[in-house]
Amino acid sequence: MIDDARDRFETVYDFGDPDVQAVPPADPAFEAWLRRAAPSLNAPGTTPVETIWAGIHAAQRSAAAAATDRITGVRPLRRTRWVMPVTIAATLLVGVALDRFVIVQSGLRSASSPTVVARRAEPAPTVDSTARSDLYRLAAVQTLTQAEALLTAYRAGGAGTRNDAAARQLGGWAREVLGSTRLLIDSPAGSDAQLRPLLNDIELVLVQIVRLSGTPLDSTDRALIDRALRDRDLLPRIRTAVPAGAADATIASDD
Amino acid sequence: METESSLPPTRLLALDGQHALVESARRGDPSAHRALYDAHVDRVYRLTYRLSGREDMARDLTQDTFVRAFAGLDGYRGDCAFGTWLHTIAVSVTLNELKRRKRQRAREAPLDEALTIARTGPSHDPLLRDRLMDAVNALPEGCRAVFLMHDSEGLTHDEIGAALGISAGTSKAQLSRARAKLRIALAGYEQEWKS
Repeated sequence: MIDDARDRFETVYDFGDPDVQAVPPADPAFEAWLRRAAPSLNAPGTTPVETIWAGIHAAQRSAAAAATDRITGVRPLRRTRWVMPVTIAATLLVGVALDRFVIVQSGLRSASSPTVVARRAEPAPTVDSTARSDLYRLAAVQTLTQAEALLTAYRAGGAGTRNDAAARQLGGWAREVLGSTRLLIDSPAGSDAQLRPLLNDIELVLVQIVRLSGTPLDSTDRALIDRALRDRDLLPRIRTAVPAGAADATIASDD
Repeated sequence: METESSLPPTRLLALDGQHALVESARRGDPSAHRALYDAHVDRVYRLTYRLSGREDMARDLTQDTFVRAFAGLDGYRGDCAFGTWLHTIAVSVTLNELKRRKRQRAREAPLDEALTIARTGPSHDPLLRDRLMDAVNALPEGCRAVFLMHDSEGLTHDEIGAALGISAGTSKAQLSRARAKLRIALAGYEQEWKS
């Protein structure tokens, strides 16, 4: 019963110092005024019943999907176990190849005409460099999208991560996204001053999830990961970093 | 503390209905989830709104409360009303979020905080109601929760005690303390609230 645990949370919520002497005797006039004024403090309007329900329903769907290895809008990872790392690795390789091609081409041009060197110093991007940066951007968007889906599933998971199968599932998924994240950190995309801190933070949280995988997460484990997520403001930062619609485009390109 | 044996027959029937709904919801019946939601969403939303003071936060916190409640239905033992159990989750979720935001503000925007503190001076804020809100926001979180739950939202001390995990007597004492602190904070406006 709650009676049995009476006052056990008094240390959880801050009630201030129990300075009894600071409490003056009640003033009926003030209390009457306060009773009239209090209902207007933070007075709520109409409850947005359907909006909230839609959010609850979506969270429940995500949790259920995570538990059965299926996230709405994202292809099942079990069937695409190697697709994501291979896609990202291939993207990065193409990027590096393009990079080298551009360097060789500019070297040839500079050997034949010294004026080319001056042109190369101009900020106008070539078609090749644009394509290369697009590829890195695509790889970054794919990784960030997967990280967001994983962390959303983890957060919505609740009870879903409390059994062995779900914990292993989440750990396996996190391991794959962690691999992609590390690849990205080591690529030229990782030298982006805005992207790198985000990737480092994602890596840190994923490492925690991977480290705890294989066993059902207890409340302490979850609290640790939740705190890391909250302190780093990770999900909002990922959502800000991924351009609107980019995730859909990426997923569509996978299919 | 509210016990089933002390309740009138109609209330007992309602509680039986709630327990049946909870049982169905535990088995994963979506219509039971919806029925429980419909029965309690207003009170949970009102409570989170009172405590947070923001529509968007209240919406998210209400959502979070129900998601956690539905995910943790196995933890509801039925020894208190379902609504009371939901209130406990709602208060915990809300106060934790407020604490988190307070920490974040302290870390990220010392200037904003300084401006907020400066604005609370009576000479900058002639409206008594705004001053009252500032004074309420300055109360310790537990004290503030008790005040808003009782005086603004109309919950009983038994309900507040159950939601905060304190006795009804402690809730009463905290309410007196909150009112006294507010009176001290609003001492400069005595003429206005006495008129």
